[in-house]
Amino acid sequence: MSSGRFLDKSLKFDFVFVVVTFLLMATGVMLVYSTSMASEVEFYNTFWFKQIIYFVGGTILALALIFVKLDWLKSAAIPLYVASLVMLVIVLFFAGDVVKGAGRWIDLGVIKIQPSEFAKIAYLLTISYWLSRHPVSFFNIKSFVVPFGLFIVPFALVLKQPDLSTALVFIAVTLVGFFFAGLSIMDMFLIVSPVLSVLFSHNNSFIFQLLWGILICCVVFVLFRRRLPKFLTVFFLLANILTGYASTMAWNMLEPHQQKRVNTFLDPMSDPLGDGYQVLQSLTAIGSGGLAGKGLGNGSQTNLSFLPEEHTDFIFSVLGEQFGFLGCSFVLGLFILFLWRASSTCKLYSDPFITLLTMGACTIFLFHIVVNVAMTVGLMPVTGLPLPFLSYGGSFALTCMVLVGLLLNMRYQGRRFSV
Amino acid sequence: MYSHFLDNDAVQNRNWKVLVYMGVVCLAILILVIRLFFLQYMHYDENFQRSESNRLRKTVLTAERGYIYDRNGNILVRNRPSYQIALQSMSLPRKKDERMVVFNRLLQIRDQDGERLFDSLSLDTAFQRARWIKAHPIRLLEDASEAQVAIIEEHSSELPGIVTLIESRRDYPYGTLASHVLGYTSEISEEQLKKPEYEEYAQGDRIGQKGLEQGYDQEFRGKNGLKLVEVNASGKEVGTVRGVESEAPIPGYHLVSTLDLKLQKVAEEAIPDSAKGALVAIDPRNGEILAMVSSPRLDPNIFSLKKRERNKGWAQVALDSMRPLTNRAISGTYTPASVFKLVTAGAGLEYGVLSVSKYYAKSCTGGYQYGARYQKCWGTHGNLNVVHALRLSCDVFFYQAGLDIDMARINEFAERFGLGTRPLGIDIPGEKGGWLPDSVSFNNKNKRLGWRWARGLILNLSIGQGQLVTPLQQATLIGSLATNKGVYRPHLMKELRDSQGNVVRRYEPELIRPGKMKPETHRVLLAAMDSVVNHPGGTGKRGAIPGIRVGAKTGSGEWKKGAKTHAWFAAVAPLEDPQIAVAVIMEAAGGGGAVSGPIARKVMMAYFGIEDEQKK
Repeated sequence: MSSGRFLDKSLKFDFVFVVVTFLLMATGVMLVYSTSMASEVEFYNTFWFKQIIYFVGGTILALALIFVKLDWLKSAAIPLYVASLVMLVIVLFFAGDVVKGAGRWIDLGVIKIQPSEFAKIAYLLTISYWLSRHPVSFFNIKSFVVPFGLFIVPFALVLKQPDLSTALVFIAVTLVGFFFAGLSIMDMFLIVSPVLSVLFSHNNSFIFQLLWGILICCVVFVLFRRRLPKFLTVFFLLANILTGYASTMAWNMLEPHQQKRVNTFLDPMSDPLGDGYQVLQSLTAIGSGGLAGKGLGNGSQTNLSFLPEEHTDFIFSVLGEQFGFLGCSFVLGLFILFLWRASSTCKLYSDPFITLLTMGACTIFLFHIVVNVAMTVGLMPVTGLPLPFLSYGGSFALTCMVLVGLLLNMRYQGRRFSV
Repeated sequence: MYSHFLDNDAVQNRNWKVLVYMGVVCLAILILVIRLFFLQYMHYDENFQRSESNRLRKTVLTAERGYIYDRNGNILVRNRPSYQIALQSMSLPRKKDERMVVFNRLLQIRDQDGERLFDSLSLDTAFQRARWIKAHPIRLLEDASEAQVAIIEEHSSELPGIVTLIESRRDYPYGTLASHVLGYTSEISEEQLKKPEYEEYAQGDRIGQKGLEQGYDQEFRGKNGLKLVEVNASGKEVGTVRGVESEAPIPGYHLVSTLDLKLQKVAEEAIPDSAKGALVAIDPRNGEILAMVSSPRLDPNIFSLKKRERNKGWAQVALDSMRPLTNRAISGTYTPASVFKLVTAGAGLEYGVLSVSKYYAKSCTGGYQYGARYQKCWGTHGNLNVVHALRLSCDVFFYQAGLDIDMARINEFAERFGLGTRPLGIDIPGEKGGWLPDSVSFNNKNKRLGWRWARGLILNLSIGQGQLVTPLQQATLIGSLATNKGVYRPHLMKELRDSQGNVVRRYEPELIRPGKMKPETHRVLLAAMDSVVNHPGGTGKRGAIPGIRVGAKTGSGEWKKGAKTHAWFAAVAPLEDPQIAVAVIMEAAGGGGAVSGPIARKVMMAYFGIEDEQKK
């Protein structure tokens, strides 16, 4: 490959990526500003100003990260991982500051640290580092032991907090890690298939039963093709069939009020006066935006505080109300561009650590984006995952900027070797 | 370290996987965009309508709390409207200076006496809170008078955001009458909210405390409704949301109690508020409580007042050394005194130890020598049989009878008729059980003090000094002794009715103790009770009513050396067909026949509708 001066520069620094990131940050600040326009707090106490401070701090951190040597990152992975576990244990057992029933913060007086955010990054580094040296394969089942051990500890600690949605982030990162560390698409399909089984068999309608049947057929077909070790074949087959039946049986064993609780979690609109209230307000806000939106500061839903958590979890409905379908599509487009530029970082190098770290970082972003937006448009249960760059919040803004820093770092620090 | 790097094939494979990954990303985002298109383009009109002209608000429709009636349909507890002046932050002006104008105007409002309606401090707090709390109104003035409401309404055009709300509060038209039976309501406490049995309650809910209000709180509450209302920009309701059903509130049940207002009034008048005492009137045929008084009383109306006055009233009753909060009729335990002699006599007759013809060798010469101890009697009564001994309430006779019968048999007989540690299970909270000591329970209870059971204790116990009973148990005892048809669970709820007046639940009489004895025992006890009242020498002759055969037993409970005795009087009438049993105790008031007898008599006269001739 040619290595002209100009090309080299574009390799080392991704201009488009940086511009997209700043555009997203600017949109976020603008939206947070629009939710707090009416308040009479001094400007340095407003959410939007604080958000700018967080972003400036995050940007400085990200730029500083560029100059960290890649080998240092690798050697820092394990210590960071251990430190994050210690913090998770501390927050769980000792210093839990109870915010809305879940102790998730360590209060150091000056700043509050959210260990689960820190753990996301530490875990990503560690799992990437391990998988880059030890690829996984279904034909060598022992290769899963260490990654699974690395995964289960922070996962369990976060789940115990209890913070289900963050725990799910860990699952997503791990699965994508496996994908880029040796598993094929068919393998991924096998891993995910039991979850699909539960989804399909839960509903008793003909279509879903048919879908479930097709799924089982596909699983059988894939198992034939892959010729996996015998016990794995049996495991996946049984897992699919048993989870399908067991979930239905478990469902029938639940008390009616428990069933109702699960149903309102999965479909908030079935309880429009209770849990569905937020979603109903969010849908109204987004839907009333129309194609072009009501314009900045004209969102009646937003400004009259009908929307709860408007500047954090439901920021996307603020966007939908004020800027309409076009605004939403534009922002989602920016996200695609962002993820594309981010993921293409790894294509420049043949270092598997870079591949895994890049794709893991992308997955963290993707998971937050999809779960958050799907929640605000009523496609998924209401969970507490914020939207990257748009939602108000210091901890998460910092996490995002550190990830951006890592992505920039890999582009700058990565080395190419002719093979 | 180069060994970890990918070869050409692996790189190709990796790049292909990245492509697949981006495919998944695009697919996920595409689904979201389709959903957005569906919401923002295809359903734009209805969503826009809903958000623009109509804003949604969730309101709770409070269910009306049920009333309490007496058995004849007189209202004992009802609700009254109470006006609250509140701040609705939704309709307050958005700009700070315009808000200050409202604030200052409110400060200037004065009532007829020239007093300010609002003080600046609490008004400022309310305005501060209004910036955060938008879902519900913030109370400025609690339980406002009609004059105050009129003033606010007059200025309503200059006061955007100030609204008058109507709540309903409990009203007890007879004040202190039967206050312990009725109970009161107050806001649910933090501790109660944490308990699982109060899961359905929310902060700020009013909940019944004590008495019927607590015992039947679930029934009185009904079910609150919910409504999603659309409000326009100024906060006025314009309608409900299409497609979302509102839940109408279900009013609570009305309770028809077994109390008789007429009887209750007479009983309340007969016991002065300055004295400590209790009265229970019960129908022994089914356990219905006709009147229940505990003195001193409290006025439950204080709990419906404004916060400041409420706290003042509460402090007064809570700190009073007379303990007006205690319902002495069910949770006061006293020594049963001579009334218990009925039980000793009954047990003796039942087990054949006593009979009408049985005379003890030692006649009453003013006392009884037991070992080294000389136990006194309150008089000198001579040689007696059981009927005479009950009539004169002679201690010496019962000392000997008690030693003959033994405590276990006496206590067994007592438990048949409702005495003992097990509470009778009345349908209001706070009932206590009594205590019937025998050798085992006495040793257990006094283990720490090192006291041991001794046979000499039977002397005191057989005349009722040492046991514990509640006035309710005492009334139940004499009633069931007179009927010999079993002990029914005492209760205050006769029936529950829904808001249309249909009977939803009726209290069925429930047999809780056998309450049976041999006919011969019954005959002798009736004769004895009769002679206590209707014999010229009987201790309870002040309970006599012309034309009605009243049976009774007096008691003077010793509780502190040198102090006046607790005055007991337990009566039942008419003896041939018992309809009402009354137990009266006046603490530290003197002899039972002299003090409590006339009180019981008044209540029974009222029951039979006989005018008091002496008064005329």
